[in-house]
Amino acid sequence: MKSHEAAEAAGSGIRWLAVGMSMLGLALMLLLHWEVFFWVNTESTMGVVQRIFYIHVPAAWVGVYLAFGIVALCSAVYLWLGDERVDMAAVAAAEGGMVFTTIVLLTGPLWGKIAWGTYWAWDPRLTSTLLLWFIYLGYFIVRSSTENPERGRRFAAVVGIVGALDLPLIHLSVTWFRSLHPQPVVLKPERPTLDPDMLMTLMTGLLAFTVLFLGLIAFRYGLERSRWNLELRTRRAGSA
Amino acid sequence: MKLYLAQLWAVAWKDLMIEFRSRERVGAMAGFTVLVGVLFNYAIDPTLVRPEDIASGLIWLTIVFAGTLGLGRTFELEAQDGAFQGVLMTPAPRDALFLGKVLSNYVILLVVVFIVLGVFGLFFSLDWGSSPGTLVGVLALGALGFVAVGTLFSAVSSGTAMGVALLPILLFPLLVPVVIYGTSATGRLLADRPLAEVDGQLRILGAFALVALAVGAGLFRYVVEE
Amino acid sequence: MTFPGEAEAPPLLDARGLVREFAGIAAVDGIDVSLAPGGFLVVFGPNGAGKTSLLRMLGGGLRPTRGEVWLGGGRIEAGSPRGRERIGVLSHQTFLYGHLTARENLRFYGRLFGLSDLDRRVECRLGEVGFLERADDLTNTLSRGMRQRLGLARTLLHDPDLVLLDEPYTGLDHHAAAVLRTVLETLRDGRRTVILVTHNLTQGLELADRVAIQVRGRFAWEGRSTDVVARDFEVLYQETVDRIEGRR
Repeated sequence: MKSHEAAEAAGSGIRWLAVGMSMLGLALMLLLHWEVFFWVNTESTMGVVQRIFYIHVPAAWVGVYLAFGIVALCSAVYLWLGDERVDMAAVAAAEGGMVFTTIVLLTGPLWGKIAWGTYWAWDPRLTSTLLLWFIYLGYFIVRSSTENPERGRRFAAVVGIVGALDLPLIHLSVTWFRSLHPQPVVLKPERPTLDPDMLMTLMTGLLAFTVLFLGLIAFRYGLERSRWNLELRTRRAGSA
Repeated sequence: MKLYLAQLWAVAWKDLMIEFRSRERVGAMAGFTVLVGVLFNYAIDPTLVRPEDIASGLIWLTIVFAGTLGLGRTFELEAQDGAFQGVLMTPAPRDALFLGKVLSNYVILLVVVFIVLGVFGLFFSLDWGSSPGTLVGVLALGALGFVAVGTLFSAVSSGTAMGVALLPILLFPLLVPVVIYGTSATGRLLADRPLAEVDGQLRILGAFALVALAVGAGLFRYVVEE
Repeated sequence: MTFPGEAEAPPLLDARGLVREFAGIAAVDGIDVSLAPGGFLVVFGPNGAGKTSLLRMLGGGLRPTRGEVWLGGGRIEAGSPRGRERIGVLSHQTFLYGHLTARENLRFYGRLFGLSDLDRRVECRLGEVGFLERADDLTNTLSRGMRQRLGLARTLLHDPDLVLLDEPYTGLDHHAAAVLRTVLETLRDGRRTVILVTHNLTQGLELADRVAIQVRGRFAWEGRSTDVVARDFEVLYQETVDRIEGRR
């Protein structure tokens, strides 16, 4: 029974963490939106639409680097140790990652239409993000389409690891390609020089997105743990 | 070590022997190549674009599509009569099994590469440039990385309900670097540019192949375990 | 299951608390198997009793949800090739490649096992299952019975200490069954430990020294073959199965 209680305690610990972080994240998001819409100055060259930047960049940081980094790391540890909880962290991060990656892919072209005059211009970062989106897709498909769920988790871990190893090279290659073939369209302007207010807003954005993301994956992880514990108890009851 | 290589070779030999007798993969891939060549010819308006200008891209895409077609089969032929289960019950190390599979898939793909070069050379009157050897080298190196990743993910997709239909989704994003560097090098060689200009691409293709082989060999055991 | 008076001989095969679940349903629900070297265990049971899953776990081909398998002091794990050279498995699937000849199939497996003196061993096994004339025919031209015989040759090629046979009589004609029986009898040499799963009560009893009846993932009855008289066994078997399945 002791392990039960320990699991319960750990479970509620996660839940508190999840609730706390999510609320903090939401609060920060509110602050961010206030800053974006009411406080920060309009950027000179691009105008109002540049404010998407404060959503787009943090989403990219979270969805691409943070989330996928967690997925890759947890996948490797999961294969090495076989501890299911590590895999739960991986899938939680992957779900969050895919959501934020989708946000990047939606906000990017919106910005692009105004900044470059076209929705899609093969911008290297956006292209890598698109490919990452497909790697996430592959991760979820293999996870759910095997007969044996444990095998599905291992498959997903392999996809995560190989994806993470290849992604830097993918980014390198699409950047290199772009450098050889400059598009006739107006090139994306360099990251705008940020005045202190803009930097502050960006930092808020990064913090808000990160905290919210961590809160969400904590929830998701807790959910997965509960589901697992429920299955375990059902099994034990069944074979008693 | 000697045993390891013997086991690796046994797997490769077995696959090649089966392919030699059934000819199913090479046949399908060769037919695909010829027909795709025909379709390309009609899909490209020669008054707007010269096929020679985009030959590099056409060659690589055909190799990727035909290769994916063939790779999809590599574990399906094992499923008949539960054969791979039997192989897994031997003491052969999983990475030896992987590398054996990669070897046989690679040989088969190289055959297809030559068929592609032959067919496209014929259809589009291609001039191979002054270093055809390097050209073949670029393709061979790119094909190696392709086969390494493809063999690993073919094992994955064979284990899912979607089967080999899943393979392009898993594989194509990962092949972007190979396609980019490969077509660039091939295009330059066809245009008779100096060899120094393809040096970087060759290195990266080589590195990709090496890492793909190492990672595939390491991860294979997690994929095949029931 | 161990028997009094045999505590001295350490078991060759020792598996405890084997459980295997598929999507939450236990196919094998807590089975212990402990066999001394030279033992011949025959497992009977209706379809769906989990006999194949049990055998696959013992052979290292399936990872148990719970429980461990030990062979001669070494652990048999599903993901690892360790210990495989000591186990031979024959199941419904013959593990043979249709486009290879009989001889090539055996040589292939022989190389994977790293066997020395491969040619002689292959010829010897082929002779043992009466296969020498058709050794160079492609396996997909062979009948079911012949493929089963060839599968048996493959199973024994590397001289395993533990032989696992999953319903090898399935689909065999009279002649093939007779060959199989002859080979199985040679396995009772005391050198090898055998677990045979079969529906054929008479044949099974003739070969066994231990018997188990598996129903719904558990051993519902275990005993020595000497404790059982053939005609009574049929009754016992039917009663055991009905008793447990009749629960539903």
